[in-house]
Amino acid sequence: MIRVENLAVSYGDLRALDDVSLDIDEGEFVTVVGPSGCGKTTLLRTIGGLESPTTGRVSIDGDPPEAAQADARLGFVFQDHTLLPWKTALENVTFLRRMAGKDSDPAGARELLATTGLDGFEDARPAELSGGMKQRVAIARAIHLGADVLLMDEPFGELDEITRDEMGVEILRLWRENRKTVVFVTHSVPEAVFLGDRCLVVSGAADGNVAAGNGSPGRVVAEFDIDLPRPRDESVFGSEAFGRQVAQVRGALHDGA
Amino acid sequence: MTVARRVPFAGVVLPVTALLVAVAVWWALTVALAIPPFLLPSPAAVVARLAGNPDLYLTNAVETLRKILAGGAVGIGVGFSLALVVWAVPLLERAIFPYLVAARVLPKIAVAPIFLIYFGVGFETAILFVALIVFFPVVVGTAAGLDRTPESHLDLLRSVDAGPLRTFRYVRLPHALPDVFAGVKQSVTLAVVGAVVAEWILSNDGLGSLILVASENVQVDVMLAALSVLLGVGLCLYGGVALAYRAVAWD
Repeated sequence: MIRVENLAVSYGDLRALDDVSLDIDEGEFVTVVGPSGCGKTTLLRTIGGLESPTTGRVSIDGDPPEAAQADARLGFVFQDHTLLPWKTALENVTFLRRMAGKDSDPAGARELLATTGLDGFEDARPAELSGGMKQRVAIARAIHLGADVLLMDEPFGELDEITRDEMGVEILRLWRENRKTVVFVTHSVPEAVFLGDRCLVVSGAADGNVAAGNGSPGRVVAEFDIDLPRPRDESVFGSEAFGRQVAQVRGALHDGA
Repeated sequence: MTVARRVPFAGVVLPVTALLVAVAVWWALTVALAIPPFLLPSPAAVVARLAGNPDLYLTNAVETLRKILAGGAVGIGVGFSLALVVWAVPLLERAIFPYLVAARVLPKIAVAPIFLIYFGVGFETAILFVALIVFFPVVVGTAAGLDRTPESHLDLLRSVDAGPLRTFRYVRLPHALPDVFAGVKQSVTLAVVGAVVAEWILSNDGLGSLILVASENVQVDVMLAALSVLLGVGLCLYGGVALAYRAVAWD
């Protein structure tokens, strides 16, 4: 379980996040939606131990994020695929596990690549893969790491809309099959609703400069349980319930802003 | 540049083609204008010189090559190591890196007479001089390359607590290689210049020395023969670096 208590993160005068508290259950898929610069990425990075809390605390199953990092319990997927250009798809998948000091499992990596639709591309280098394929490799890498928690920072942000929808269905399938806890940051409301068990709306402005007296730090301003039935696929997009949930989240976003 | 990139082994093929064209023009001129051989011998006369005493050119080429390789190795080794240290200690980087960049402007050839006073004539002095010349592009290239790793890649390694050594070995260093090699490529060309200058001023053997002695005796054919061997040496070295780069390059 991920627990965030009274979290605030500041960079000098810039307050990126203020007074955020939340619990994320094991196996839960939580989406975090908000405009650019609202602090949602800071929230994700702080949960993953890439940023330090200014006040408050974060724990992963009772441990600080640094301990979870050391045990390879956290699998990041960034907007930038972060594949090493000199390594093949397969090598990229196994690489992070090796860097975490775990025993290598090339057979498992191969199988995982196959289930993510990359059968036959094991030996391709990132430059030969499409944007969607690169993110599939990055997701496979995080799963292969053996992390219990996937921290995804707008992973589909640079993909075209069609690929994006496909990747959404794909990540839900992988989540179903691998039972991970997922925190998924996005600025797309439909994506947040489609994917999540729960959707957190973060509001704030990047120019939250206390000294200048303008802007505001990021806060969680609303929270929605998404009660769309699972498993979900593209047909959800056309449903009335989906449209209603999207409208609700949109409303909260605009109220918060 | 973009066309040149499309030619396979461009570093070797293009210069060789240009050389063949130049030789043809040269030959045509000597024949058409009936230039006296002591002013400009024909390519055939130069080849005859080479063929007449191959040992002379071979021995001297080996001497020059030894200086280039030994000096190059020292220069690359020291340059790469210093770049690592400077990069790892930000205080040092800010204090001395501007001078390392600025020192590239300094004509290193002007330093040779100073080396002569401090170290005297000899193989070691020549090596030192070649190393000095090779050093600067390697330092600057390596230092630039080490900063080339995207922040997100470092975040990725941090997220599994990979530690600074692994991060360096598996991510930062490979990201730096293209820039390191760009520096080495520049260095190779400079190393040949450095070896010849060293042989003029700091030692009495090798192709540079042969050219100098031939000049004093107005033996243009010997000079051109030595020059062509030197060109061959330089091209082989450049080609060698280009091949080594292709073996490890990813970009």
